[in-house]
Amino acid sequence: MPHFAMVIDLNTCVGCNACMAACAMENQSPVWDVQKWRTYVHDKEIGLGSDVNRRFFPRLCNHCDNPPCMSVCPTGATQKKENGIVFVDQDLCMGCRACAMACPYHARVPVTHADMRKGREFYGSDYHRTSPSMDKCSFCDHRVEEGRKPACVETCVGSARMFGDLDDPEDPVAQMVASGAARPLMPHIGTRPNVYYIDDIRWRS
Amino acid sequence: MEVNMTYATQDIWTWWLAIYLYFGGLGAATLAVTFLTDMYLKPSRDLVIWGAGAGVVLLALGSLMLFGHLLDKVAVLTILNPMAMFNQSTAWIAWGTQFIIWMMVWGVLYALPYVRETEFPKKVPVIKDLIDRPFVIGISKLVNRFHRQVGWLAVVNGVGVAVYTGLLLQSFPAVALWHNPAVPLLFTVSAFSTAMAFLLLLMYTLLHEQADESIRVLYERIDLVLIAGELVVLFSLYMYLKNGSESAVRSLELLWNDYGWMVGFIGFGLIVPFFLELKGVMKGWSTRVPIITASVLVLAGGYMLRHYFMYAGVYAYPW
Ligand code: SF4
Ligand code: SF4
Repeated sequence: MPHFAMVIDLNTCVGCNACMAACAMENQSPVWDVQKWRTYVHDKEIGLGSDVNRRFFPRLCNHCDNPPCMSVCPTGATQKKENGIVFVDQDLCMGCRACAMACPYHARVPVTHADMRKGREFYGSDYHRTSPSMDKCSFCDHRVEEGRKPACVETCVGSARMFGDLDDPEDPVAQMVASGAARPLMPHIGTRPNVYYIDDIRWRS
Repeated sequence: MEVNMTYATQDIWTWWLAIYLYFGGLGAATLAVTFLTDMYLKPSRDLVIWGAGAGVVLLALGSLMLFGHLLDKVAVLTILNPMAMFNQSTAWIAWGTQFIIWMMVWGVLYALPYVRETEFPKKVPVIKDLIDRPFVIGISKLVNRFHRQVGWLAVVNGVGVAVYTGLLLQSFPAVALWHNPAVPLLFTVSAFSTAMAFLLLLMYTLLHEQADESIRVLYERIDLVLIAGELVVLFSLYMYLKNGSESAVRSLELLWNDYGWMVGFIGFGLIVPFFLELKGVMKGWSTRVPIITASVLVLAGGYMLRHYFMYAGVYAYPW
């Protein structure tokens, strides 16, 4: 059984936001509210005076191996697959938002009845959501099951996002993680994330 | 990697969740205290009816707050099933919901024989018919036979609710203010302290004639100890936050630099009532006004604690 993970190289992310758009279309996110997109690229200026650099920081659900969003979920809507993907069963979710309170990575977003009404208008008859829920990135599990990569990875122009199997020693993603070049966010919280970042060194040089 | 941290409070669970936690703790602790008083100190019909009534009404109102904010209200059915507690054994909302339901059920049953004895329900149309139905009379007789067992079932679930309100916040690992063992302790002590205040308020006003002096004095003493305990827990929390992570330090700054928290909650919600009750216990008061004042302050302080707690939790985001 594979153990899926993502590595994001902050050195090659150019802040084009193509990943956000690809994800939103692929997963029919409420595009009218950027707070409700499953992935988001933060844009920050770092430095002083004339020595200022922009830093782009993509974030998404970290598909934690010890996910607090799952342990607090009273309905069992948040579940983890054997391949490591954490997903939400939207029919079980009652939208109490405990998962959003528990997630240290700001990865849960509400999709309401009003969003669904707009969604039906915007996406037309293709719209597949059946009930409101606290939504999140699913690593595009529907694509992964078909052997494809998540939409954000496939569309990333700088190849900043890489997707792979940690249990495959030949997989470049597994190698970057094993070498320590790619590191998780806030591992001290104990969530055991499966999204790893390669730190950007441009602005430090 | 974590050099550009952003620190943020949340706007997901706000005042309405504070009301849920407050009514939950207050209602459940009031029910537990009155039932224990009735079982082990002195049979107290009025206290039991008020305790069960407060438990049911406050918990219903509190639960409505949460229910009203659910994204999908139909899906709540999943957690009304008692098996949810075992299927989702790490989710405190699953436990809390069952504690709330069963506390209400056992609470109403425990109070039933007393309700049947009182005059007022006989004047209320629907209730009048209901309490004279043969099956209700049968249940009432059964409750009388298993008085203590039913009482304890309600008390255990009531204590469960009070503790749950703190465990719920403690289960969010990203926020240092919430994710520490002082929180369930603080919320439980505060729940019982507000329950004492509520009962004292009742016994000095609406139940003034019927109230038993020895029980009133006992409640005053217990409340004094509980307030002192709450201050000790708050002090340890302060020390923990002061030397804690950045999330902890920022929460501490938010709370301890806020007049509402410092003057409102700690000053008027704890210290002033502590001294008013201390004087009452040591030397007594010639009027009931000071204890009524202390009770109102403790009740207001109980809400403020939860309100400020919800708004002062700080998340640390590495972007
Ligand atoms: S990042 Fe947040 S939402 Fe995703 S698995 Fe971890 S805790 Fe859950
Ligand atoms: S909002 Fe849904 S997924 Fe999140 S904890 Fe509540 S029931 Fe679970």
